[in-house]
Amino acid sequence: MPVFALIGKEWKLLLRDWHALLLLFAMPAVFILVMSLALQDQFAAHQRVNIHYYLVDEDQSAVSRALVQQLDDMKDFSALPSGAPVAKLLDLVRNDRTQFLVRIPAGFGKAMLTARPSQLEMRAGPGVEPAMYELFAAALRSALAHVYLRQLMAPLDTQPPVAGSVPAEASGLSVADKLLNAQSLYQAGSENQRPSSVQQNVPAWLLFAMFFIAIPLSTTWVQERQQGTYARLRSMGVRPGDLLLGKLLPYLGINLLQVALMLAIGVFVVPLLGGGRLALGHSPLALCLMALAVSFASVAYALLIANMVTTSEQATIFTGVANLLMAAIGGIMVPRFLMPAAMQTLSQYSPMAWGLEGFLDVFLRQGGLGEVVPEAARLFGFGLICLLVAGILLGARQRK
Amino acid sequence: MIQIEDLRFRYPGAGRDAIGGLSLRIREGSLFGLLGPNGSGKTTLISILTGLLSAASGRVLVDGKALPARAREVQAFCALVPQEYAFYPRLNVIENLRFFAGALGIPVTAVKARVEEALGVAGLDAFQTTRAAHLSGGLKRRLNLAIGLLNRPRLLFLDEPTVGIDPQSRRFILEAIKRINQHGTTVVYTSHYMDEVELLCDEIGVLDSGRLLAQGTLEQLLQGDSGHSLIVSLSAAPSLPQQAHLSEISGLETDQNRLRIESCTDAQLKQLVALLAGEKLGIARMQYGYGNLEELFLHLTGRQLRD
Repeated sequence: MPVFALIGKEWKLLLRDWHALLLLFAMPAVFILVMSLALQDQFAAHQRVNIHYYLVDEDQSAVSRALVQQLDDMKDFSALPSGAPVAKLLDLVRNDRTQFLVRIPAGFGKAMLTARPSQLEMRAGPGVEPAMYELFAAALRSALAHVYLRQLMAPLDTQPPVAGSVPAEASGLSVADKLLNAQSLYQAGSENQRPSSVQQNVPAWLLFAMFFIAIPLSTTWVQERQQGTYARLRSMGVRPGDLLLGKLLPYLGINLLQVALMLAIGVFVVPLLGGGRLALGHSPLALCLMALAVSFASVAYALLIANMVTTSEQATIFTGVANLLMAAIGGIMVPRFLMPAAMQTLSQYSPMAWGLEGFLDVFLRQGGLGEVVPEAARLFGFGLICLLVAGILLGARQRK
Repeated sequence: MIQIEDLRFRYPGAGRDAIGGLSLRIREGSLFGLLGPNGSGKTTLISILTGLLSAASGRVLVDGKALPARAREVQAFCALVPQEYAFYPRLNVIENLRFFAGALGIPVTAVKARVEEALGVAGLDAFQTTRAAHLSGGLKRRLNLAIGLLNRPRLLFLDEPTVGIDPQSRRFILEAIKRINQHGTTVVYTSHYMDEVELLCDEIGVLDSGRLLAQGTLEQLLQGDSGHSLIVSLSAAPSLPQQAHLSEISGLETDQNRLRIESCTDAQLKQLVALLAGEKLGIARMQYGYGNLEELFLHLTGRQLRD
C-alpha cells in the first residue's frame, strides 16, 4: 500500500534531520524542567506560598505586639526584616521587589476602641495580582478582627470567638474594614487606584509577542541562503554587515509597529469589550526607549538564530521553544516572586526579564527614562552580542 | 583577463584538495567553456574567481588584480550567474532587477536604464510585472541571466545557465550569451551540455579532480596528439583469406566485421585504407580521432561514474 511507503519515507526524513528532532525532544524537556522548577514552591504540598512583606511597628504597644503575633501566625506570608526607613521600604514595594508593606502607626493600640481609630496601613506593589492583593487584605482583616475582639473582651477576661463562627458584625470583621487602609502603590491617576489586569498583563504578553519576530526572520534568512541569493549578493560585493543591517532595520520597524498595534488594542479595543483601559504611563520617552531596546534585542536574537540553524524547520522549532523557555525563566508565565530563590537568580539573566521589568517600570510604576535605562542598556548589550556572534557565524559559513 | 598559477584550495574538514595545483589562462574577450564532471572543482574555481572563497596558495590575477586582496575591485566589473534561481520569488521581475541594481550600488539615476537594458537582452519586457515565482523555467533562467547583466560586467561567469529548460529558451539564452560576448564581455561558461560548448565557446578547458586536463580551441582539442584509435565497421565480414591479409597490419584487432587499431599512426591508416580498397571490402562506418567534444571529455575524464 502506498501509505506504508509514505510513512516509511517520513520516518527516514525525520530521523535524518536530527537537529530538528533533537530540538523537538530536548527543548520541551528543558521547558518542562524549567516550568516545574519555577512553580515548585507553588505546588509543593507542605511548603508555604512565598509571599513576603515588610512590617513596621511604630506603635510598639501591647495591641500592636498582639497584632504582629497574629500576622506571624499567618501561614502563607512571612515578614522580612524591616530596619530601613519607611520611605525606603515603600520604594522597594513600589518597585515590586517585595509585594507588601504593613505599617502599624503610633497610637494604633490606644485608639483602637475609640470612635476615631487609627488605621493599619497596607501598601501593595503595582505588580501584585488582584487575587494576591485580596488574599493579603483578607488575612490582615482577620488578624485585626481577632485583636479587636480581644481588646473589646479584655475587661470580661474572655477568649475571642474563632473568626467565622459568629456573624460578621459580631466577629469584628466589619470593624476591621475600618481599621485597615489598603492601597496599591500603582499611581496612574486617582489615589488608591489599583492596576487592572490589562495593565499588569499587557507588558508581559507584548514582550512575548515581540520575541516571536525570530520565526519569520530566521526562516526567510534560511530560504534566501538556500536559494543562493546571499552567495549572489556576496559576489556583488555586498558585505555581511550590510546583509545583517538589511534585515535588522525592516524587522525593527515591524516589531515597533507590533508594539503600537498591541498598545492601541489595550487602549482602545479592550475597553470596548468591557475590560480595563491600558494606561501608557507617564513617560512616552521611556516607553519608546524600552520598545526600541526590546525590538533591537529580539531582532538581533532572531539574526543569531538564523545564522545558527541550517533548515527552516530548525529555525521554527528552536525559536518557538527557546522563546517559551526565556518566557518561563523571565517571569512572563510565572511571576518572578513566586519562583524559588535559585530560579529568581537565574531569571536575572533572561532578556525577557529585563524587558518585562522595563515595561513594568513604565506601565505600572510610572517610571521615567532614568528608571528604564538600566534595563534598556542590558537589552542593547544583549542585542549587540547577538549581532556580533551572528556576524562571526555568517563569516564562518561563507568560508565553507 | 584571468591568470591562475598553481592554485590550491581545500574545504575545511575535507580529505583532499578541491583545487590542486591548477594553472590556467583565459584571454580577454574570449568565451571560455569550463568543462568537468560533477565535483571536478568548477564551482569552487568560480567561487574563488568571484571572491566568494579565498585560495590557500597559488596566484590568481583577474585583469591584473590579485585575489583575494583586491576582490572588491574585481567584483565591481564581474558578475556571477549561479546555477540556482538566485532571486526573490515573491518579487516581480522588475522589482528583482531594481533590488539587485540597488545592491550593486548602481546610482539611482542609472537604475532605470540598466534595468531596461537587462530586460531587453533577456527578452523579459513582457513579464516585468510577473512575480518571479510564476515564471516558467525558461523565463526564470532569463531573469537569472538578466540580474547578472545589471552592472554591465566585463567578466561574466555563467554556471550551467541552461539547465532544465526547453530548446527554444536554451537557444535564446545561448544567442544572448553570444551577443554579450561579441560586445566585449569575457565569458566563463560551465555546462554539461557538450553541444552547447562546441557551438558557443572559442576556447575550452577540461577540469577534473581540481586539475586542468586540457585547454585549447575545439579544433586543437579534437585534433589532439597523433595516437588516436581507429575504428572501422565493414559492410560485410571479411573472408578467411581477407582476414589473413588484414592481419599483416600491425596492431589491428578483428572482431567479425569490426576492425580496430589503438594508437593508429598515419602510415597504418593509409595501409589499411589501401588494403580494404584492394580487397574490395566496403566501409559502413569509420571513426578516427575524437568525433566530438563528448568523446574527448570521456576520454580525458574517464567513463567511470562520479559521486
